[in-house]
Amino acid sequence: MKRILIVEDEEALCLLYAEELSGEGYDVTTARDAEQALDILKRERFDLIVTDIRMPGRDGVELITQIVGLRRDVPIVINTAYQSYRDDFMTWAADAYVIKSSSLDELKARIRELLAR
Amino acid sequence: MIEVHPFLAPDFQSKEPRELALLSIVSQSFFQPFSVQDNLLVILTALTSGSGVGFNRAMFFRADGDILRGELWLGPRSADEARTIWEVLSTPGLGYIEIIEHNRWLLSGDADSLSRRIRPLAYSLSADNVTVPVTAAARREIQLVRDASREPLVDPRFLEAIGVEEFLCVPLVSQDEIMGLIVLDNAFSRQPIAPKDVKLAGLCGLLAANYIATATLHRRMVDMERMAALGEMAMFVTHQIRNPLAAIGGFTDQLLNAPDDEAKRRRNLEIIRREIRRLEDVVYKLAHFLKVDPAKRPEPFDLKLALKSVVGAMEMKAAAEGRTLSAEIDERLPFVRGDATAVGEALRNLIINAFEASPPGGRVDIAAERRDAAWVVVRVADAGPGIPPEAQDRLFSPFYSTKDRGMGLGLLYVKRVMDACGGKIEVESAAGRGTTFRLLFKSQEEGRADA
Repeated sequence: MKRILIVEDEEALCLLYAEELSGEGYDVTTARDAEQALDILKRERFDLIVTDIRMPGRDGVELITQIVGLRRDVPIVINTAYQSYRDDFMTWAADAYVIKSSSLDELKARIRELLAR
Repeated sequence: MIEVHPFLAPDFQSKEPRELALLSIVSQSFFQPFSVQDNLLVILTALTSGSGVGFNRAMFFRADGDILRGELWLGPRSADEARTIWEVLSTPGLGYIEIIEHNRWLLSGDADSLSRRIRPLAYSLSADNVTVPVTAAARREIQLVRDASREPLVDPRFLEAIGVEEFLCVPLVSQDEIMGLIVLDNAFSRQPIAPKDVKLAGLCGLLAANYIATATLHRRMVDMERMAALGEMAMFVTHQIRNPLAAIGGFTDQLLNAPDDEAKRRRNLEIIRREIRRLEDVVYKLAHFLKVDPAKRPEPFDLKLALKSVVGAMEMKAAAEGRTLSAEIDERLPFVRGDATAVGEALRNLIINAFEASPPGGRVDIAAERRDAAWVVVRVADAGPGIPPEAQDRLFSPFYSTKDRGMGLGLLYVKRVMDACGGKIEVESAAGRGTTFRLLFKSQEEGRADA
């Protein structure tokens, strides 16, 4: 079973992603902020990471840099409400950039593609 | 020994060298918080006042892209008027403020028939336009024109407008950019323009050009800041709306895909309801924020009554959350000026902020009293952790919030309300010692004394 780490500060969305991606047959772990995510990443291995960008405390963009440093081989999906960060070169380190919408289809499709590589 | 001199002491009647007098007048335009229009007036005044350069009339053309447009023309309208003005202006002890006031009147409304004569004049600044006065600006040269009607290069429409044979064209150039053009003459004194006048006018032109360049730059900066704030607002709102939408969409899809899952049904509906409320809140706050109309004339209202009504409502909220709200409102509080509804909303904002900053069970104190004859002060104090200095600088910036889900509009709203009624907002905060916001309202009694 492929393991996915979700980093999302919105409580409702965290729950939604966990349920929906588990339903797709993934083993899902959630972190509510970047600090927590880094903590988990130090102990556990994942096949893919989904992260938001703007979160309280440490910023998601900063988190991505650290994840890349920590786990160079793990694909990262940015899942955010902000369009504009697509232009931020720091986010180019990510493998996919998904804008949050009322449908989870795109997020699921990107995850499937990246895990099939 | 310390000798003290006034910081600004331009005296039009002094026997100082003209250069010095001129410099001190023009420097005013860099110093005073006047509008651009007023500062141009100062410069034109320097060119026309007796102890400045002493021309009779000064005309200002503004460069607007590649077009040079007639904008202001300062001076007496007739020889008679010139005599009267010169008599007035030679009154001993008359300062530059009075002269500028007088000139402002000249340039206002009906008195300003001179400017109206040159406003239809607009010239292309392109190199193939070889008419005077355009070439002075385009070629960046000071041109002294004599026997104008016999000079074929002088634009006939311009000649008709100015109606004199001798005039001086001074280009306004800053950092190689053409800012405009000033045309000077001695229509009434009929004195020939001397080489010394040309030099002084040139100096004035340099200062004026740099002033206009700085003012233009400043305006561009303000515009850019506004655009940036707008961009930030769009980004923030996008975020505030997309997150709830994603949750609503996702949990609705779950319901549609598994309609029989009873356990999820209620939970999902509750989440959806909550997220919709969040969206409503965003819309409410934005609408409210955009609603404050600074142009609305503040009216006298009973601040004591408004305070009591807000405090009453907030006491219930405080009790429900296990907090204490104490209020000390001076019974003899005078009426103040403002928009009563907006002020009530601003107070509500401050009290809610104070609640949110306080520890559980914390206490918020409100006090309202007369500060002095002119001002009434309302204090809202919490015993929270205080606001760090770096955050204090940004408190009133749009979309800046120290709260996780803050919109960053609350305090900005309060500030706008206070600005709109000519009041002030002050903040005092120290780490570990809580925060106090002070709202200062103009007392209405003072207003009556004014009237």
